[in-house]
Amino acid sequence: MPGDHRRIRGPEESQPPQLYATEEEEGPADRDPTRLRPVFARAGLLSQAKGSAYLEAGGTKVLCAVSGPRQAEGSDRGSGPAGAGGEAPAALRGRLLCEFRRAPFSGRRRRAPQGGCEERELALALQEALEPAVRLGRYPRAQLEVSALLLEDGGSALAAALTAASLALADAGVEMYDLVVGCGLSRAPGPAPAWLLDPTRLEEERAAAGLTVALMPVLNQVAGLLGSGEGGPTESWAEAVRLGLEGCQRIYPVLQQCLVRAARQRAAAAPP
Amino acid sequence: MASVVLSEAEKVYIVHGVQEDLRVDGRGCDDYRCVEVETDVVSNTSGSARVKLGHTDILVGVKAEVGTPKLEKADEGYLEFFVDCSANATPEFEGRGGDDLGTEIANTLYRIFNKSSVDLKALCISPREHCWVLYVDVLLLECGGNLFDSISIAVKAALFNTRIPRVRVLEDEEGSKDIELSDDPYDCIRLSVENVPCTVTLCKIGCRHVVDATLQEEACSLASLLVSVTSKGVVTCMRKVGKGSLDPESIFEMMETGKRVGKVLHSSLQKILLKEESLGPKRQKVGFLG
Repeated sequence: MPGDHRRIRGPEESQPPQLYATEEEEGPADRDPTRLRPVFARAGLLSQAKGSAYLEAGGTKVLCAVSGPRQAEGSDRGSGPAGAGGEAPAALRGRLLCEFRRAPFSGRRRRAPQGGCEERELALALQEALEPAVRLGRYPRAQLEVSALLLEDGGSALAAALTAASLALADAGVEMYDLVVGCGLSRAPGPAPAWLLDPTRLEEERAAAGLTVALMPVLNQVAGLLGSGEGGPTESWAEAVRLGLEGCQRIYPVLQQCLVRAARQRAAAAPP
Repeated sequence: MASVVLSEAEKVYIVHGVQEDLRVDGRGCDDYRCVEVETDVVSNTSGSARVKLGHTDILVGVKAEVGTPKLEKADEGYLEFFVDCSANATPEFEGRGGDDLGTEIANTLYRIFNKSSVDLKALCISPREHCWVLYVDVLLLECGGNLFDSISIAVKAALFNTRIPRVRVLEDEEGSKDIELSDDPYDCIRLSVENVPCTVTLCKIGCRHVVDATLQEEACSLASLLVSVTSKGVVTCMRKVGKGSLDPESIFEMMETGKRVGKVLHSSLQKILLKEESLGPKRQKVGFLG
């Protein structure tokens, strides 16, 4: 590509030196399986977005912005292939378009800016978890765009993105039934280890199974669930889901405070 | 997914019926429709299978090709999934319409298959250099509800049917390696599909959940739980699908139902596949005419 000086592409076959390096440490330190890393949340940071939120939990940093509602593309065509089956006013219901992007420097290895199928899967998971909470019936023929940008992946990235996205939606003034709080879990390989709440990146890499739960705390309804790996029998997964739901309930007060603070700032900044 | 237009009265009819454990076609909440499985329908593949579940028709072809192993797992082969939603299934899939659904299903298949599902070390030819890559291509011919379950059954049957030719690696004096195929066309390795999981989709309709929903039942349900179980009852993947939310208690119930139904599904599928295999090469192939 002549004149493309902004994206410096390395040679075709290049591998990072970490691949050939020896393991850093054997096994993470023992920790309380139910410990949650302290969460820092701020809403209303971006001036150009209708609503925005920044969430930091341990090493995971997510920035989320919401724009809209604006007119939906192709709204006169009716529902698309993945639309609601059979609901006549499907064209009247609003749409939620979610996008999940990882910054190229977010993980240990550089990722190409065009993520591909993993990011699309996470974007679909975001959409499926946020839809139960948003009153899309109040935005007919409109679409709301939620875009989550993962600046640094320190473990349970999807859970942090879910929480940041729902804070951003609330900050944008979108009508919602409840906030959506996400929590990640992972299980180390071995005979019968316990599920660890809010894993760090190292624990996630070594994990045999991972799970992300999204809960609407006040309504006590599970909005999203995505898990895979060698998690063992159903009882083990059920225990993981319970642990995740408890974790979500514990994070909720922090998010309430964050939204109250953002609302106060907005009220103070608004001209009388 | 294909959309179907239902009136409010029809939805109420379905919901009330499900409350009484009676569905429109007379099944109970935990019953599957009649499944027809046939393997070895496409001759150019290493393995193939066709599954008909009610109005849902899936064709899976597995092709084994020699490739380079991934960097992190130098002594293992791997599987690549691709799902194509053909325009025959529903007019919405014309052009690029079916791409979203296809990527969603492919991503779910990647999640379901973890390292213990298929013996990947058996697919290695020489570490760091050559390995077998199994390209599993799924073709959606007709969409009649419950896509994930039928696709997972078809993939399992196709992997059971896959015959990978045995190869030897010969080394030259200069050190360059050559791969030699054995002369006997029937000398092949078969994969063990004991740990290959099958998905069970449980749709929440009203207060109860149903297994194997038709298109009409899917239109009445707002949320479903997709559970993938192996024949031993080990869960490999769990995912909530749909735009509604689920109660935590119903999730636990659905997981138990999924495990129970999954085990029955595995045992009947295994019996049928072994029976089909025992009929030998002289069996009557039904193919696409039946």
